[in-house]
Amino acid sequence: MGTATKTTLATGESVVGAVTSRTVLGVTAATVVLAVACLMQWVAPGGAVVGIPVATLLGGGLAVAGCGIAVLGAGSRLGYIETTPSRATSLAAGCVVGMLWAVSGGVATTVAVGGGDAWLPVAVVGGVAGALATVLPREDAGATLPAAAVIVGWGGAIAASGGGGGWTWAPAWSSAVFPGTEIVPVVAVGGALLAAWSGASAHAGFGAEGRQAGAYALVGAVVVGTLSVLVLLVGFVVLKGITPVLTGASLTGGTLGLPFVDAAVPWPTLPFVTNQTGGLYVTIPGVFPALVGTLWLVFGAVVAAVPLGIGAAVFLTEYAERGRFTQLVEVATNGLWSTPSIVFGLFGLAFLVPRLSGGNSILVGQLVLGCMLLPLVLLTCREALLAVPDAHRDASAALGVTKWQTIRSVVVPAAMPGTITGVILGVGRIAGETAPLLLVFGGAPYPSNTPDVLGSFSLMAQPPFVTNDALLAPASALPYQLYTTITAGVFPKDEFTTAAFGWGTALVLLAVVIGLYAVGIASRRYFRRKLHHE
Amino acid sequence: MSDTPQSEPRRSDDRSGADDATAAAAAGSTDAAAAAVSSKTGGIAGPPGGPGGVDGDEPAVARTVGESDEQLQDAWTDYEFDGDAKVSVSDLDTYYGEERALESVSLDIPAESVTALIGPSGCGKSTFLRCLNRMNDRIRGARVEGRVALDDRDVYGDGVNLVELRRQVGMVFQEPNPFPKSIRDNISYGPRKHGDLETGLLARLLGRDDRDAERDLVERALRRAALWDEVSDRLGDNALGLSGGQQQRLCIARCLAVDPDVILMDEPASALDPVATAKIEDLIEELAEEYTVVVVTHNMQQAARISDQTAVFLTGGRLAEYDATDAIFQNPQSQRVEDYVAGKFG
Amino acid sequence: MMRRVKRTVAARVTDPVVGVARSAREYRSRTGDTAVAVQAVICGSLGAAFVAFLVGSQWTVFPAGVFLATTVVGWRREQAATGKAVTFLMTVGTVGVLALIVAFLLVRSVPAVEHMGVGLLGRTADPLWAARDGGVYSLAPMLVGTAITTCIATVIATPVGIAGAVFISEIAPPRVRDVVKPGIELMAGIPSITYGFIGLTVLNQYFYAEFRTPTIGSYLAAGAMIGVMALPTVVTISEDALAAVPESVKSGALAMGSTPWQTTKSVTLPAGLSGVSAGVLLGVGRAMGETMAATVMLTHTKGFPSPVFDVFSQYGETLTTVIAFEGGNASGVHMSALFAGGVVLFVTVMALSVGSQYVEWRMHRKLGGET
Repeated sequence: MGTATKTTLATGESVVGAVTSRTVLGVTAATVVLAVACLMQWVAPGGAVVGIPVATLLGGGLAVAGCGIAVLGAGSRLGYIETTPSRATSLAAGCVVGMLWAVSGGVATTVAVGGGDAWLPVAVVGGVAGALATVLPREDAGATLPAAAVIVGWGGAIAASGGGGGWTWAPAWSSAVFPGTEIVPVVAVGGALLAAWSGASAHAGFGAEGRQAGAYALVGAVVVGTLSVLVLLVGFVVLKGITPVLTGASLTGGTLGLPFVDAAVPWPTLPFVTNQTGGLYVTIPGVFPALVGTLWLVFGAVVAAVPLGIGAAVFLTEYAERGRFTQLVEVATNGLWSTPSIVFGLFGLAFLVPRLSGGNSILVGQLVLGCMLLPLVLLTCREALLAVPDAHRDASAALGVTKWQTIRSVVVPAAMPGTITGVILGVGRIAGETAPLLLVFGGAPYPSNTPDVLGSFSLMAQPPFVTNDALLAPASALPYQLYTTITAGVFPKDEFTTAAFGWGTALVLLAVVIGLYAVGIASRRYFRRKLHHE
Repeated sequence: MSDTPQSEPRRSDDRSGADDATAAAAAGSTDAAAAAVSSKTGGIAGPPGGPGGVDGDEPAVARTVGESDEQLQDAWTDYEFDGDAKVSVSDLDTYYGEERALESVSLDIPAESVTALIGPSGCGKSTFLRCLNRMNDRIRGARVEGRVALDDRDVYGDGVNLVELRRQVGMVFQEPNPFPKSIRDNISYGPRKHGDLETGLLARLLGRDDRDAERDLVERALRRAALWDEVSDRLGDNALGLSGGQQQRLCIARCLAVDPDVILMDEPASALDPVATAKIEDLIEELAEEYTVVVVTHNMQQAARISDQTAVFLTGGRLAEYDATDAIFQNPQSQRVEDYVAGKFG
Repeated sequence: MMRRVKRTVAARVTDPVVGVARSAREYRSRTGDTAVAVQAVICGSLGAAFVAFLVGSQWTVFPAGVFLATTVVGWRREQAATGKAVTFLMTVGTVGVLALIVAFLLVRSVPAVEHMGVGLLGRTADPLWAARDGGVYSLAPMLVGTAITTCIATVIATPVGIAGAVFISEIAPPRVRDVVKPGIELMAGIPSITYGFIGLTVLNQYFYAEFRTPTIGSYLAAGAMIGVMALPTVVTISEDALAAVPESVKSGALAMGSTPWQTTKSVTLPAGLSGVSAGVLLGVGRAMGETMAATVMLTHTKGFPSPVFDVFSQYGETLTTVIAFEGGNASGVHMSALFAGGVVLFVTVMALSVGSQYVEWRMHRKLGGET
């Protein structure tokens, strides 16, 4: 078993190989950036960058990368570059490369012959040949040369296409047509990913290390792509929304009356956040009523769900014996957690609306969102309770403290950090929830007054004796207002266009939700760190 | 099980305290010379019970309750043996963040023998073991200084291939940790990953299937680990269904299948019952005929039973004494080691 | 975010009736008279309040008041007993919410089933959805639409999500992980309506302008957006599963000299496969139940694209979007048909949830050593 390899611990690295593989990876990365810029329409595929046509750059990048990979593979196979290849490439890689050969062969035939069924045999033969060429030779040749052929071929085609302008593909099965200007960058990204995989593998000298490098290159590309999407999403909202939100804003424009002293100091103003939406005398319409509506919704949901969830978690963990009942509750809770929000809306519409308010209202909205929050509170609290070591319970019991006292003063406090974190994250989720609000909550899209929940309590002579008109009336909330703005909204004021008001609302909503998430994640990190230090 | 170490002929001398400094100086390495100097200043006469050395710049070392505050002498760790050192460690310092887990440990481990590492909990003996195959690299904030050499090749040098290193230095963990796979797959995992065995669909398609070789390998490794008779009829079963002792022997077999030179064992029997422990101990003694075995244990009787030489670590990550197992247990030079061996602390 | 904890349920050999009777006796002997009285009043009054609320009585307030008063008094006098009773009722309440959802969805969907029969799910002839002629409501196009968007979303979310989970759990150095993980969680927190707004302004317009889709809005655009939204679910649950594979097993593989990637591929991923598939199932459930982005982005034209995988057709309606879009001003059989759509949605997602819990439970059992 491999005694020959025991002579050395360190693997040598050849300078030529290292330089070539670094070049390949660099060119590949540049190609991906350029192709993505094309897809994002920052650069026109038919245009030019620093005087060179984009298509030439894309195609040339792929061709260079492909040639580099071929050099690495051939150099290693012929013994000029020191590597540690396995006996063969993996079957999965063979399948992928074979598929690419099949597609390339089929497309090339179609373009050359111009239709007909000739593409099918060519594709089949090409696919089999590509797969075999990948799988049969030693890994350093198999993992590079067939892939390099594909990459160079695609690069040449892209460079020859001139960016794909004016050429479209309209397959019969699709209602859409695919223009060359979009296909070219997609093909370039695909080719570059293939080059990244093969180049990274060659860079690490093939073998187990090479496969790891290839896999990490692909996984890393996927993760970078995902995070870019996140950044683009948030950045887009901020970019679009910042102008309406900052309209009329100033750091010292407002005044703040000091209590007890008859004086006022300059104070920042943000009219978009603090103004009413409708109303005659409002020059800069704002989202204040919707913001207050969202806060009331979240407050009500937390009041309804948190005690219920914690209580249930305590009973399940501390009192109930593990068995059918706890299993049922767990399945039910997890089911509730994944139940679509719109179904909660239907439930509120069927059960709560007729019994509480007879129409859309804040109260029903609060309860429905509370129902959505409930499973999350229960699950996180239960997890936190289970994480409390039994030693704590035993220690307390050994001191002669009753079970209930133990739960109250030892177990629940220890589980609070985890629960609080979970609740904050859950609140972030329900604050942005829209679907159920459409069915049970929403009122006028652009209200001119803020719901006055605290001031609306009144007594009456017949049951239920206490009532609150504001709670039982519909209102507006940030996500709901955004929805109405998007779908039916004709924004009534001249200050903003409908879209601008929508983006402003979206930004405020995003700020609320991200703020909650940031607090939740930070508190989790804080508690975790504290726990680890103790 | 015998108390007689098997590597008797390799030991060069039955040393006394005074000989040590000269012997170490004769070894010629700089650290040995430094050791000679420090042991002179610290008082060469370091018989058990002697007062601690008074090196002014020596940092205060944390001690376990019950430990005397005797000063350690580098001469006590100079163990002479015939033949080359398989693993040679010099001036090894290990830190976890700011905390120092090992402090200038130097020792040479002879080939094809059993070396036991003992000491109170938290003394760094497991840390030391994990330095030998660089498993500490995985721990966040862990930092290693000094030199570890395997057959004179630096383990922490530039461009060292961890895969190659760990192929040559196998490891068996405290808790049995078989993969959640079949018994057969557990054994053939290493050779497969190293490309010595080819199985699977592609290999079968290309006619390169090594299933016969795999079968031989599995049987050989399991027999070597004294597990074959118990599992030969259910090689396809999930390894997690085995008993703890069987799982641990499976882990040893898994390690043997890669054919390492050195086998590190981190308290391999501490999670097992006495019967299973006895089997593992027998196995370790047998393995020492072919392999260099380094065993961490907190069980002093176990160390006395199975090992040829014993290194005693004390709180603070210092190597207190390293010598033939008999010498450590019957005539230790350090008072603290004597106290530890006698069970006064630890 | 949530690692559900499952323990093997001890097999109960005793007859349930006998068992309940025995535990009732034991309970009675351990508990004082006052405590039992308090617990009985608490449970009874809340039950009465619930029944009164259910029938819509204005007298609900009286039993509810009794419940509150007893709880307050009991909290002073018999805190342990009160606490136990109240937490018990809270547990029942949680299950009760689910039961109520099931009950009310079913009850409200009965008229549509009576009106349409099997055609409610299976009608493919025109008209598919119209108020004329006493109302024709077929959910078939929405089922197809939901299937299409869910498939697209799954195709996007599954590989990317698993790659993300592997990256966070196995590849990323701690510093990078500290950035990536909250980032992915933040993706789950961005409100779906915001995703919808962006999809509407960017994706829909892009496909309309570049690919000349017949309408602004297509299944592909909506499905892609939903895929991005389902991604965090797949990542967090899969990552939990990979992290649950014992570190000792991973160390064992590394100590054998396999590379980290070999360890991930051959040890960690197979061991955590059930958990990963649970994550994928839940991600599919999320994608299926996703409402707002789809409502905003789709065209709300009901019909069957031809061929079925023509994701650029002018049709665009799913179960969720039809409820959200029409639920606000529907009535009678129309509303009932929407409830029926809710039932279909609920049953499917519930099945996915239970399925994912089952595979996860199996994984824990397997890692626990039982084969």
